[in-house]
Amino acid sequence: MTVDELPTVEQLNMIAEDAWSAYLDPEGDTPLEIDVPEAVPVELSASVAVVGAWNGHLVVSCSRNGSRDVASAMLALPADELSADDIGDALGELANVLGGNVKSLLPAPSTLSLPRVGAGDDERWPGSVEVCQTVMRWRGEPFRVSLLHSEQNNTTREVA
Amino acid sequence: MLAIVIDDSRAMRTILRRVMTGFGFEVLEAGNGREALDVLAGAESVPQIALIDWNMPEMNGLEFVTTVRKQPEYRDMALVMVTTESEHGQIVRALAAGAHEYIIKPFTVDGIGDKLALLGLTAIGVIQ
Repeated sequence: MTVDELPTVEQLNMIAEDAWSAYLDPEGDTPLEIDVPEAVPVELSASVAVVGAWNGHLVVSCSRNGSRDVASAMLALPADELSADDIGDALGELANVLGGNVKSLLPAPSTLSLPRVGAGDDERWPGSVEVCQTVMRWRGEPFRVSLLHSEQNNTTREVA
Repeated sequence: MLAIVIDDSRAMRTILRRVMTGFGFEVLEAGNGREALDVLAGAESVPQIALIDWNMPEMNGLEFVTTVRKQPEYRDMALVMVTTESEHGQIVRALAAGAHEYIIKPFTVDGIGDKLALLGLTAIGVIQ
């Protein structure tokens, strides 16, 4: 796969905007800000693996507050009524939706794993290289969406 | 009208419940295909529609569709895959297994409404 065939930052942003407007901000009250030059405090990560003609991971990382905002919006519950399972479930589903749409831009056939959620920087993807990344902000909290490629001879794009 | 939402994510079940309730449905929920079979067995009536995720533990959506299609008591239940699986081959597999419609996540309320209308499940006075 050449660098020109990898999903672009613009495509990642578009997929994220679609997911946010469908599930997190259907009324358009708090739009997602894209291309935010901001460091993301990684307190929670959710990922799905793509396995098949292309191998890798789609990872969503954010702060605890960000993950609570996601769960609160998806479950329509106040933040103080959310359990840790609720938060993991919601962030995992967000990764699932983003990953599934990114997978459609990658070589077929491939399958998508169930989401995996981990705290902080505990999550590791040995042998993987980041090929695309975008940082967004929603309700004042930064979110990072990264696409990692798992093969040694992969094609990489310089990440800004 | 009755619907069953089958998805391993509680968050997604909540969203789909909200959408379907807005269209006038009562909603049953299950976290995977196996659990859905149990819920259906215990339900007082057969739902008009099942909204089914693909990737789930224990029994995935495709296995659920294949299983339900073999059971004549559910022949009138519309089976709609609601999933991130958007490869052409996957869609063909689901339809060949017996799914009636296919909705790709992220969906919109209007998108769900269009599919309900296609399936003849428009509740009078509910879908504008």
